[in-house]
Order: sequence, then structure tokens, then C-alpha cells
Amino acid sequence: MGYFDVPEIDYTRYSNRQLAAVPLAVLAVALAILGGWYVFTGAPVGLGIEFAGGTELTVDTATDESDIPDAFDEEVSSIQSVQTEDNRYIVQFTSTDDEALREQAESNLEPLGGNDGVVMSGSSTSASFGAQTQQTALYGIGIAFVGMSVFAFILFRTFVPSVAIVVSAFSDIVIPLAFMNLAGIPLTLGTVAALLLLIGYSVDSDILLNNSILRRSGDFYESTHRAMRTGVTMTVTSMAAMLVMAISATLFGVELLASVGLILFVGLAADLMNTYMLNLSMLRWYKFKGVNR
Amino acid sequence: MGLRDFIKAYWRIILLIVFVSVALVALFIPGGIFADDSIGDGTAVAENGTDGNVNGTAASVETTQGWTNLVYGLSLDGGTRVSAPVVGMTAENLEIDPDREIEVSQTLRDELELDPADVMLRFDERTGTYTAEVFTKNVSQSEFAGALQTAEVDATEDDIREGVTQATRDEMIGTIDTKINEAGLSGGRVSQSDIGGQFYIVTEVPDWTPQELRNHLSERGIVRVVAHYPDGNGSQTNETVLEQGDFASISPPDYNDRSGHHVPVTVRSDIAPDYQQRMNDIGFTNEGVGQCDYENPGAEGQNYCLLTVVDGEVVDSHSMGGDLAQNMRSGDWANDPRFIMGAPNQQEAQSLSINLRAGSLRAPLDFENDQTFTLEPALADQFKVYSLIIGVISVLTVSGVVYLRYADARVAAPMIVTALAEVVILLGFAAAIRMPLGLPEVAGFIAVVGTGVDDLIIIADEVMSEGDVNSRRVFESRFRKAFWVIGAAAGTTIIAMSPLAVLNLGDLQGFAIITILGVLIGVLITRPAYGDILRYLLTDR
Repeated sequence: MGYFDVPEIDYTRYSNRQLAAVPLAVLAVALAILGGWYVFTGAPVGLGIEFAGGTELTVDTATDESDIPDAFDEEVSSIQSVQTEDNRYIVQFTSTDDEALREQAESNLEPLGGNDGVVMSGSSTSASFGAQTQQTALYGIGIAFVGMSVFAFILFRTFVPSVAIVVSAFSDIVIPLAFMNLAGIPLTLGTVAALLLLIGYSVDSDILLNNSILRRSGDFYESTHRAMRTGVTMTVTSMAAMLVMAISATLFGVELLASVGLILFVGLAADLMNTYMLNLSMLRWYKFKGVNR
Repeated sequence: MGLRDFIKAYWRIILLIVFVSVALVALFIPGGIFADDSIGDGTAVAENGTDGNVNGTAASVETTQGWTNLVYGLSLDGGTRVSAPVVGMTAENLEIDPDREIEVSQTLRDELELDPADVMLRFDERTGTYTAEVFTKNVSQSEFAGALQTAEVDATEDDIREGVTQATRDEMIGTIDTKINEAGLSGGRVSQSDIGGQFYIVTEVPDWTPQELRNHLSERGIVRVVAHYPDGNGSQTNETVLEQGDFASISPPDYNDRSGHHVPVTVRSDIAPDYQQRMNDIGFTNEGVGQCDYENPGAEGQNYCLLTVVDGEVVDSHSMGGDLAQNMRSGDWANDPRFIMGAPNQQEAQSLSINLRAGSLRAPLDFENDQTFTLEPALADQFKVYSLIIGVISVLTVSGVVYLRYADARVAAPMIVTALAEVVILLGFAAAIRMPLGLPEVAGFIAVVGTGVDDLIIIADEVMSEGDVNSRRVFESRFRKAFWVIGAAAGTTIIAMSPLAVLNLGDLQGFAIITILGVLIGVLITRPAYGDILRYLLTDR
């Protein structure tokens, strides 16, 4: 059925330890990256201007990209050109004096023919506002995670399967965070939203697997394969949608949608590994050994 | 099959069709389901989190409409938003004898060297205590506590917190709402949001730069009428004769040849006799008639000017006219206490009228710790097109993958149609409650399609597992099993997103609300209907 089908993996060939080793190693590397980032920069992830404070201007200008920093008195922290729109750039500053930056942009950058203004969009966040937002975002992620964990325990009412869900979900968030550091994506409101959505999304396939193995009749491997066929299809479909959204939004220069798409793509990929290696090995241990204890 | 059986068999699909139709009406028929904005205002207030104070936070909803009834937010419509905290600090639960209220506030003013407008004492009916606020950055907490102690109020530095009271913020929101919506612009919105324990006043307008908006918001608009008259020793003296609260009605700005630009006002009937008496006493209605040459050194000691003062600056000066003076002398004026306040030009007259009507901004806003966002409408229009394209591409991708997986149009096609129906219902809902849509909401829609299709895959796989579905009973039992997983998954998504829906994290509230609503609509309406569609297509009837 179908042009592609989910391959049946012969799990009997691998021990629980072998299965769990890979995702745990990846999780350890991800945590090490976040730890290292914390030691060297003071924050586990790079903060975007919404959290760290700063100014971002979107400008339409005939001035060359390399000459744009000269137009401003303050230091430019990054310039990004928008692919689908020639001569449109997103410029970021650590300064929060948006009025001065706007004036400098309007007077020193050359407008495009037919336009009177240069600045198409601007946002500016003071450091204190950013710090407050950061705190609120941390609360949000914390509450969401704890709430999800409690809900998982209520659903399955047994220790190991519930912990398996919580551990996979934790890893599903930590891996994209480490990826963000490596790829140079700062933490913004959009990425926070993506991380929260990831909690909701990634738990789906874990619940499906647990439900299939624990609550349904049939052989362990049969149940696993049944859950995998559905679960992998789900995750791959979502990954495809998110990848396409990330690519198209990047081309159009719609940052929020681009970061949501990319983080979800990476997180869902991590979820595939965590669900069908980590979660599965814990369930198998529980099913075959745990019950006898 | 009778009608009853038909409904019994397909009620889920019928429900879906009803919801989609209602959503389409809400989306496309001008006026939508709710012809007025009352519902939208209701939600705006609820989101602002101020209970029971509809006036304070009444957000006006944009009325500009395209070919749908959708209302767009800042990130898809363009405009400027400034979020700024309020300057000030507060001491609560102060035991003050009500008779000493005036004395205490006078002492605070003198001790801290503040303008009358920067000190505020409020009586709390519920607790029977007073709350004192000062609205300035120039006073430290210990100075404030010291001044309270000087006024013989029992308070220490620990009783004082940064920030102002809810009552003050409500007054400010009301004032700003009037200011931004009366300056010839519509579509301004103002609310408060609590971010990490600090309250911010969030103001949105469609077409000002951040600087213009800040300028409008930093004018506190405190209007006074000052009598400027000879002190008898060859120079002038100033005396405030009317304050903001002394006016009963304020008309829109007007112009005539005799008075120039002006704002016609009436003075409150309980104030008017005193004002009339005072004008007579200090000579404005006798020797002072027509005698105003403000700031001319040659006229020093002989000027009788009524000054219009806004935020401490004199914007206009004029003398008492002959007719008015006569009415005041005879004492008739107080029975019909109308007069005009002069302004140098049309713009000043307009802003004077707005300031008088809106009242003054109770406390200043702290623009050093603010956040601004601005977007040109041209770019916003592009974003609308882009988000539509991105959304369509995402849906096509999902459809493609689903088709490749099942290679059965009977399974895949209803899946896509159902997922789209979910988006239509959600859009209709957003249009009906006039929820402003921005980029975060678009991300929410795409997320909804994603979770929606996930759930439909679960249903399809479960229903088609273990051979053909040949009876309704088998179908129902499998469908119920699938639904346990879907319900559990929906529960986690709702739990994960609910902190965002409650916390004020910028635009993400909308994203969370759309996602949660989408999941609910999906679980309650569209996904069960998909089950029915599949059953119709797969079972042998």
C-alpha cells in the first residue's frame, strides 16, 4: 500500500542498552553544547533581540549590502538579505535607540526608485522588557512541561511508560535547542512557540506507541510495528510540512514562520529517534523484565 | 433509509457541514454573524485581564474590511505598537484619617517638591485604607517613605513598591483610547499586559511612526486656565483659576473671525459662581477688559490675561471680552457658564479639545524601558500574500505525503478536505469574534493542519488495520480505540499551549489560542466526521 511504506525494523537484533545508547548519547552531546554555551556566554542559548534587547530594522534600499553598516553610528550586529525581494535587508543592532537608528537609515541609505521611505518595519526592545519576557517564557515552558508530564502519568498510571514519555519529550526540546546554537539561530518568541508546540506534537507518537503496546492485545513486536506505521507516517507528514514552511518563509523573509518551521522539523526528527529507540527500549524493558520484579 | 436513520448515521458529517456553512457566512457575508462589535470588545476586555472594568479597557476594533470579515492584527496590517511601563511607585494599605486627606497630599507634594498631578491619594472602599502614589522618577523609595512619615502616616520603605495601581492604569487606558481615537485616526487599540509581573501599557495605532506615537503619549495633556494679572507692585502674578475637572462639557474645536481658533466649553455649575466671583475680584471684568499683551515687557504690570496652559506650557493667551465681562459683573454668567478657550492654530485647538475631553494622562509612561514595533502597510500587504502562499504550500505538501503514503484517494482526499474544513471553521470563528489575525496566528493555522492530519492518519490506520471493515460494529469499535489516542494527544497539545494563551508573551497569545481552538474543533467536530466519511467509503452498506 502506498508509494512508500514504513519499513519493519527487526528490533530483536538489538539489546535495550544498544537501542537506548544512541538517543542518550545524542542527548548528552546536546546538553554538553548547552552547558558549554552557558559557561562561555552566560546563557544556554543565544538570545534574540526580543529577549536580549536591541533593535531590528527591515529596510528597502539601493545601497549595497556591504555599505549598509557605514550608514549607522551604532554597531550593526547582523545583516540578512531577503531572497525573494531584491534590495531588502533585515538589519539588527544591540542599541535600543530606535529613533536615532531610524533617522540614520532614512538619511544615509538610498531609497529604492518609487519609494520615499527606507524603513519598512522596525522593532525595538529595551533590555528590561526583554529580561521580563525571558522570565515569562521560561515560566511558560516550565509549566507546559510539568503539565504534560502530569498528564502523561494520569494517562498511563504506570511509572516506566510515563517516564519514557517525559524523557523523550525532554530530549525532543533539548536537541533542537542545541541545534539552534550550532546553526546560529537565536531564541525568539517564535522559537519558544515552536518548542512548546513540540511538546504537544512529539508526545503524540509516544502516546500512540505506549497505547499500542500496553493497552492493546498482541505480540510486542507486532504492536510496535503497528504503532510505528501510523506514528512514522504522522511525524514524516508533519516534518515535510514544517520543512516546506521553513524554506518558503525563509525565502520570503517572514522570520517568525521560518523559525517555527525549522525548529519543529529538527525537533520532530529528534522525536523519531527518541520514540522508536529510547521510548521503545524502556517499554521493552518494562514489558519483559520490569513486570517480574 | 428514513430521515431519522439518515441523521443518526451521518450526524457527525451533518454537524461538520453545518459548522462549515456557518463559518463561511461569518467569513464572507458582509456584517457576518454578529453585526456589531460587542463580542469582539468583550473578548478584548477578557484578554486584557481587567475584570469588571469595560470602560477602562474598551478596545476599539478596526472596521476596515476587505472581501472577508477577517480582522488583521499589526503584523499583517501595518501600524505601530509601543509597550511601555508606567512611571511611579505605590504605598498601599495606609491608615489615614479621611479628614487629613488634603493635608497629607499637600505635605507629600511639598516634601517631594512635586506638581499636584504627580501625587495621588486614593481611598479604597473595601479595605477602608488609603493608597498613595507618586508619578515621577525623581523620588526614591526612601524619600517617599520619609515624606509619608513627615505627613504622620505610618509607612516604611518596605511598604512601597514600584509601579502604580490598577485604577491608575485603567484611567490611563481610557485616556489614551480617547486620545488616539479622536485625533482623526481610527483603529487605535490600547490595553495592558502583565509581563513577568510588570504591567505594560500597550498602544497600537495604524499610521504613526513610533516617534510620533511616543510624542503623543508623552504629552500628559494636563490643561489649566491661569489668570495672569498685575500684583499691584508693577509686576505680574499667576493664579490657576480653572483645572481639568472644572469643565462640564467640551465642544469640538471651532473657528470664527472674531475669536480665531478656539474650543467652546462650559464650566461646571458648582464651580462657575466661584470662578465668576474671582474674575470680578481680581479685576478681569473691569479694568482688565481687553488688556492682554502677554510677554511684552512694556505691558508688565498692566496685563490681564487668561492663559491656556498645557503640560506647564502656555499655548495661548487672551483677555476677557466686553460682553462676557458684563455678564460676569452682573452675575448672570454663572447661570449659563459658557466660554471659549483660545488656541493659536487649528492643530492646537484640536489637541486642546482632545486633552480636555480625554482628561490628562494620570502618570507618565517610561519609554526607556519600552518595546516598539512598526510595520509599513506595504510590507504588511506582502506578508499577507506570503503567509497565504506559505499556508497553501504547506497544505499541498501534507496532501502530497498523505497521498504517497496511502495511494488511495478514498482515504487521502477526505483527509485533506477535513483538514481544510478545520481551517475554514477556525477562520470563521476568528472573523465572528473579530480576533485580529497576525503572523503568529498564521503559524497557529499551519500547526492546526499539522496536528489535524496527524489525528486523521491515526483514525485511518486504526480503522483499516487487520483487514477490511465489513460491519458497522467493527468500525465503531476501532474508531473508539483510535479516539482514545487522539483525545490524549489533544490533551497534551492543549496543556502545552495553555501557558502561552494565558501569559502575555507578545504576539504568541494569538498563536496559542488558535492552536488550542483548532485542536478543540478538530477533536469535537471535524475528526469524528472524518471517521464517518471513511466508514461511508469503506464499509459495505
